[in-house]
Amino acid sequence: MADISYKEITTNGLWKNNPALVQLLGLCPLLAVTGSVVNALGLGLATMLVLVGSNAAVSLIRKQVSDAVKIPAFVMIIATFTTCTELLMKAFTYELYLILGIFIPLIVTNCAILGRAEAFASKNTIASSVLDGLMMGSGFAIVLLVIGAIREIFGVGTIFANMDLLFGPIAANWNINLFGEGYGFLILVLPPGAFIVTGMLIALKNLIDSKLAQLNATKKEPLKKGAKRMRTTGTIA
Amino acid sequence: MRKIWNLIGGVHPPENKHQSVKDSVGSLPLPEKLIIPLNQHIGAPSKAIVAIGDKVLKGQVLANPKGVLSAGVHAPTSGLVSDIGDHPIPHPSGMSAHCITLIPDGEDQWIAHEGLSNYRDHVPEKLLEIIRLSGVAGLGGAGFPTAVKLNPQKPISTLILNGTECEPYITSDDMLMREHPEDIVQGIEILSYILGDPKEVVIGVEDNKPEAYAALKSYLKNTTIELATFETRYPSGGEKQLIQILTGTEVPAKGLPSDIGIACLNVGTAYAVYRAIVFGEPLISRITTVTGKACTINRNYEILIGTPISHLLKHNAFNKKNCSRLIVGGPMMGFALENLDIPVIKTTNCILAPSEEEFPSPQPAQACIRCGMCAEACPASLLPQQLLWYAQSKNYEKLEVQNLADCIECGACSYVCPSNIPLVQYYRASKGEMKKQAEEKVSADRARQRFEFQKNRKEKEIFAKKVQRDVRLKAAAQANKTSGTEGIIQAALDRAEAKKSSPEDQHSRSTRRIARFEDQLRSAQEKLESLKEGVTSDQHEQAKAAVEDAKIRLAEAISSHGLSMPISNPSETPDSASEAITRAQAKVTIQAGLSDEEKLCNTIVSLTARLEKATTRLEIAKTEGSEHIDAFTVAADKLKEKLATAEADLSKIRT
Amino acid sequence: MALLKLTSPHAHSAQNTARVMQLVILATIPGLFALTLFFGWGSLINVTLSCMVAVGSEALVIRLRKRPIMFYLKDYSAILTAVLLGISLPPLAPWWIAVVGTSFAIIIAKNLYGGLGYNPFNPAMIGYVVLLISFPVQMTAWPAPAELYPSDMQVPGLWHSIQIVLPLLNPDTLSGVSETASGTIDAYTAATPLDTFKQNTGLLVDQFYKKELFFSQGTWAGLGWEWVNIGFLLGGLFLLYRKIFTWHAPLGMLLSLALCSVIFYDSGSSSSLGSPLFHLLSGATMFGAFFIITDPVTSATSNKGRLIYGALIGVLIFIIRSWGSYPDAIAFAVLLMNFAAPLIDNYTMPRTYGYSKSGVKSNKKRKEDQSDAR
Repeated sequence: MADISYKEITTNGLWKNNPALVQLLGLCPLLAVTGSVVNALGLGLATMLVLVGSNAAVSLIRKQVSDAVKIPAFVMIIATFTTCTELLMKAFTYELYLILGIFIPLIVTNCAILGRAEAFASKNTIASSVLDGLMMGSGFAIVLLVIGAIREIFGVGTIFANMDLLFGPIAANWNINLFGEGYGFLILVLPPGAFIVTGMLIALKNLIDSKLAQLNATKKEPLKKGAKRMRTTGTIA
Repeated sequence: MRKIWNLIGGVHPPENKHQSVKDSVGSLPLPEKLIIPLNQHIGAPSKAIVAIGDKVLKGQVLANPKGVLSAGVHAPTSGLVSDIGDHPIPHPSGMSAHCITLIPDGEDQWIAHEGLSNYRDHVPEKLLEIIRLSGVAGLGGAGFPTAVKLNPQKPISTLILNGTECEPYITSDDMLMREHPEDIVQGIEILSYILGDPKEVVIGVEDNKPEAYAALKSYLKNTTIELATFETRYPSGGEKQLIQILTGTEVPAKGLPSDIGIACLNVGTAYAVYRAIVFGEPLISRITTVTGKACTINRNYEILIGTPISHLLKHNAFNKKNCSRLIVGGPMMGFALENLDIPVIKTTNCILAPSEEEFPSPQPAQACIRCGMCAEACPASLLPQQLLWYAQSKNYEKLEVQNLADCIECGACSYVCPSNIPLVQYYRASKGEMKKQAEEKVSADRARQRFEFQKNRKEKEIFAKKVQRDVRLKAAAQANKTSGTEGIIQAALDRAEAKKSSPEDQHSRSTRRIARFEDQLRSAQEKLESLKEGVTSDQHEQAKAAVEDAKIRLAEAISSHGLSMPISNPSETPDSASEAITRAQAKVTIQAGLSDEEKLCNTIVSLTARLEKATTRLEIAKTEGSEHIDAFTVAADKLKEKLATAEADLSKIRT
Repeated sequence: MALLKLTSPHAHSAQNTARVMQLVILATIPGLFALTLFFGWGSLINVTLSCMVAVGSEALVIRLRKRPIMFYLKDYSAILTAVLLGISLPPLAPWWIAVVGTSFAIIIAKNLYGGLGYNPFNPAMIGYVVLLISFPVQMTAWPAPAELYPSDMQVPGLWHSIQIVLPLLNPDTLSGVSETASGTIDAYTAATPLDTFKQNTGLLVDQFYKKELFFSQGTWAGLGWEWVNIGFLLGGLFLLYRKIFTWHAPLGMLLSLALCSVIFYDSGSSSSLGSPLFHLLSGATMFGAFFIITDPVTSATSNKGRLIYGALIGVLIFIIRSWGSYPDAIAFAVLLMNFAAPLIDNYTMPRTYGYSKSGVKSNKKRKEDQSDAR
């Protein structure tokens, strides 16, 4: 557990053990705020911030905290970081803060964060934990971003609308209107659309995984020249 | 008119009965061989009592029933028993079983037999015995030994005769009712008598058999037997369904009709009972329908039990090329066979050889659309679509909850399924799987019980051993405290402790010793003085040696006394080791002053004393029978040797 | 020919799934005829478009699943879904409405759950609801019945209708003159009778009926729509006669809907929720009763269950129509009860032959008693 390589942490967080597509944690914010890119990005970055901070802090105190109180301790840490993030958003991105509303404090309840604190940060070094937090947070944020993009493009017909809420006035005209006026496919903007797009993404990920597995399987077993025994078990190249 | 209830569910397939009722019941010439299975009924196979090579007569017993739930078989014609062994039998699996092969000799000679002139003169038990020995089993298709069915544990209030024949194509019961109505009615009366005259006796006939109805009706005038007719529907001829149609009551689940006081028998069985009781004829033939478009002739025949089906088909112009499958039984519940060599048995009511257009190959199954037509058709009010769902996912618990066990496998659900799903196959497979699981569970439970018992027993043994070991340890510990090796050492230490007294005690003790030795020396000198005249040289020597010995001892005592003076410094208490060393040194100085002769004399004196002691010890050991006898003997011998050597040396010096 | 080794039963009735589906499609003809008579060619175009999309998307999914395409298309279930959805859509709706709705219904609502027989929700209704939520404007633009057109306008002919649905085929659109589909329809759209009735405030029902052209020209429940409902009623009765389904579900729904409206009937005040006749012959009631809720895959299993299922749908329809925000409620009621069908099945298991009590619970209890006794 302690000697998990950095490469593995990265691939785990971004793909193999992605919090949104594989672990299916944190689905509440995922389904609720991915109506547009800016919302999704805002919450994704906030979650990533909290995740990195809490992972680092939990890893710092991991040897001192006893088993009996570790969960309350971790929740306290996560809550602290969430409050910090909330205050930051309130200060610098006020409109986005208003739009996201209750979902920023709800980052505390995001099972992905407590899950990583419990499963990884409490058992690994600080560097690994920070990297894990960063990668898991990125994985989550990327999925949010993709879903947000899809729902915005196909639901409302724009992309990068209202990005100035997050990035300031320079992003005011990043908006691209893809399908012209009067386009709307409301179902994607409403909650059912979130479920459907998420499900499609999970299916796509599984498809890619299975195709990769097929490719690897054919690559891995070269025929042994001169092998005379007949194998009756295992994979035959 | 009797009240009739409606069949629950059911279907109405095209009847196709008209093809085989055009002619009367025919008969066939004797086949080349007859294959008679030993198990043509529900229950234990019968036990053959003939051997290969026996000549048998028609109606002779070939095998006796084994146990209560069993029936015998009889020779359908006279001939030679050519084989008793495995042969394919009419079973859906195509399996083989024990059969008696009989080669007819063409004589068709009956064994001597006679029936009862008036069955009412005999007790029902006697009639039951005759029926049992006549090999009568249910001819409706199940083959339940009739003698057992007629002897139920509970009183019967309703006797139902099944003349329904609900399956399409089959017309054997129909023709029997048309041609032998009087015999059937008499048979029914015999049954009624055996069952203690039940209150109601009803014959159930479907409304597609008007001729049979009329034929029977004409013979029922002087009887209390009712004749009930009802709408033609499949499967109204099933025992449970017929009971529900004619009486409105249902056979309780997992129970028998006798539980509600009803007995249901086929009209063919009634006819067989009649012939057995009145004529003494065992069951050796039955009416079977041969039908289907692949046979040019469609007709009913009175066929000897054991006739190979190939013989039947040959006489009906069977066209194998045109035949899609060969079915034993009807189209709804019959099974298909490939081997034409299998025989007709007591329960074979129809041989169906359809052409391809009559029964085309089954279409591939599609998904179940849950239309519910199967549930409408099910006569047991089951939900076949749910049964299918759970059977496909092998969810046996849910199958039990849905009462799969109550499925009578009539095939009505598969018949109506628009998606061509072979529903009955799923149910049969699931039933087999559930039965296997139940058996495995029973044996696993037993194995678990045995294992737990063994575990308990082993634990008890280990515990008992442990207890014993503890007891022994305790006892040994107790014993060790007094006489073990440890105890000996302890005793010596105690003595040493006791000995390790204060210097004053040692001083006084050594003073006393000196006094003692001085006395000894004085007495030895006096002896020497008194021995001066008229004494042997040995005695003289002995006396002198004694004096010298005494002197040595005194010297020792004085030297040790000197050492044991109370010392002002208590820390310098001498220990026993240094004492012994000083004594030895004193002895050496004294010895050094003595001549060789004197030394040898001293040695001889001490050796003699020691030998005396050893001899005494040996005598005591011998009387006690102690185990140390050998050791003492050896010691004594050694001392004797040493003494002899010393005396020899002395005499050498002296001379 | 070798003798086949097969199991019983060897006989089979002439029914098969394809025939059942074909018969149901056939039975929609009277209703479709009425729709065309009163509302123009739009419905037929929708149905045709839906069928093409349905067959195409079903073939695509079957191909992705690596199964034989013709075998699965042969059961006509995709075409039936397309017909039902096409009938539900407003005539002269743009082409992409039919395309999106049908592909959603076939691909997601039917095949993603496992194909025919495995979907828990009625695919046609899922498609309809997705469209209703996503494109509320287009889905509530119903054309007026033919007789209510302004005198200077005519019901668009077949070619004109096709051009409205598929604007690309309209040379005017291509050359730049803007004549969007909605613009053309605006000239003669009208709300449905249900909608109109719901908007009524202040007039007594009698007065309202006299005022509104819909009802004054019509006999019972609104011009045009009543005949459409009667058409579907006839189709449904035909299917009952052919024993495609049992009477329990449709009768349950119609009776409970009528009963609810009778209970809440206040003899025509201005806030009346509608007379029983109005409810029964307006909107998509008959269509829903005989074609939607009788979909065997998604309804309850036993007959008793179907009765309850239909009755609850009727109640839900009344509730949503009266106090919900949508004028017509068949789709939502059916989908909600699709949720509940397994629960209804659990409690309505028929009593098996030989048992004194019916149901799953009594069976479970019986098993427990047996095992305890053992």
